[in-house]
Amino acid sequence: MSETAIEVRNLTKAFYDADSDRTTIAAYEVEFEVKRGEFVCIVGPSGCGKTTVLRILAGLESKLGGSIDMKSDNPPAMVFQEASVLPWLTVRENVGFPLSLKGVSAAKRRARVDELLELTGLADFADALPHRLSGGMKQRVSVARALVDDREILLMDEPFGALDEQTRLVLQQELLRIWETTGKTVVFITHSVDEALTLADRVLVMSPRPGTIIADLAVPFDRPRDVVEMRRDKRFWDLTYEVWRLLASTSPERHA
Amino acid sequence: MSLVTAKLTEEQIRELKAPAQRERLFRTISYFSPILLLLLWEVASQLNVIDRRFFPPPSAIAGTFWQMITSFEIFDHIGATLRRVSVGYVMGAIPGILLGLVLGLSQPARRVLGPIFAALYPVPKIAILPLILLIFGVGDASKFVVIAIGVFFLLLYNTMGGVMQTPQIYLDVAKNAGATRLQTFFRIALPSALPNIFTGLRLAAGSSYIIIAAAEFLGARSGVGFFIWASWQTFAVSRMFVGIVVISALGYFTILALELIERKLVPWAKH
Repeated sequence: MSETAIEVRNLTKAFYDADSDRTTIAAYEVEFEVKRGEFVCIVGPSGCGKTTVLRILAGLESKLGGSIDMKSDNPPAMVFQEASVLPWLTVRENVGFPLSLKGVSAAKRRARVDELLELTGLADFADALPHRLSGGMKQRVSVARALVDDREILLMDEPFGALDEQTRLVLQQELLRIWETTGKTVVFITHSVDEALTLADRVLVMSPRPGTIIADLAVPFDRPRDVVEMRRDKRFWDLTYEVWRLLASTSPERHA
Repeated sequence: MSLVTAKLTEEQIRELKAPAQRERLFRTISYFSPILLLLLWEVASQLNVIDRRFFPPPSAIAGTFWQMITSFEIFDHIGATLRRVSVGYVMGAIPGILLGLVLGLSQPARRVLGPIFAALYPVPKIAILPLILLIFGVGDASKFVVIAIGVFFLLLYNTMGGVMQTPQIYLDVAKNAGATRLQTFFRIALPSALPNIFTGLRLAAGSSYIIIAAAEFLGARSGVGFFIWASWQTFAVSRMFVGIVVISALGYFTILALELIERKLVPWAKH
């Protein structure tokens, strides 16, 4: 548990808009570490650059400064914010998509995809096209697809952000169960304090733009967790208060 | 298992079904409205309200049509036209789609080649037919080429537009899943652009028949266009109408066939 999986040092990212000749600093001197097998949530207001940090970790965006060290044999898998399920493929084909790109044989692919459909509760929808699925089901497909080629690090970019609260609660519980069985290293982005405390071993709090890490809080609850029952714990609400206080103290509206 | 037993009254169910029933009635009527027009034409022509020399009654046109079917005369012309359209169509569509994919995905390619195609596209295809006849002769080759040119541009622009509309997230998914450039090309950009490609295919089918008719007026000894032109020269108006009906029907059925294929291949798009 003590081995480091991800090490981010002084990570800075800025965007330049040629039309208005303006430079925007999206993330500034971001520093954190994630241990192998750890579940870390980054929480922050929208526009704070948390998604940008994750996209840089995923290799989808270049960094301007600083360093990233990923101690892993394979590139991280990503679960995206919105419906990222490919509409022209069935659920089965979507989940097997990364394997099919690598030319894994159809039989092996089928066996592995079946495993994941079972794990994510999608077995009954294997041959459906995504437009027949609810938002929650689509995000299950995204999660299954990210797990299919068994990469060590899982990056999740507000995967449940667009779902209603009941569905979100169900998927959080499922995600915890899956994480406990697979033992992946997870970096999970959210703007929901509640979600971060429900899922994470550690919560990193980010300030508004230019985003930087302002706190690193350990979440003490035992595992396996029950996403409903843990709300009876006073520590849950103390931590909620603590995170909100941090977020409020850096809010630009307050200082304006 | 439901916790509440719910039941609607007969009247509520009737009210619920009413809009669907009305819709069905109008759909039935819609099948017959063209027949109504033909009937009106027939009567007007028989009573000499419209000039019979220009608008012979549909029954007379149908009679001529029937003669031409039984004598197999019409089939030679249909065969010639269909052969020219289908060969030219494929010759134009495949490069149009491939180049559309390249231009859609690569901004440098778009910057360099875009202006060239933009300058060539507005040239009327019929206007360059004499030039094409000069280069490729009066045989089928010139017809293939002129149709291919028309089809090419429609597919180039529709495919390019479709690829450029590919949601960034699909490209991110491909990259994260480890797709190569070629895989991104064929497994993301192509399917994502498929609805637009079919729009292009349908537009191209329509314009193919416009182009072939004009091309056959000028330089052909067979085909439906030639047949319309030859009928005009002998003032055989009924035969002209047969030609017009046949070429419209060919276009209609081609587009219908494309729509059926689209439903099969693009089941996720709204129809």
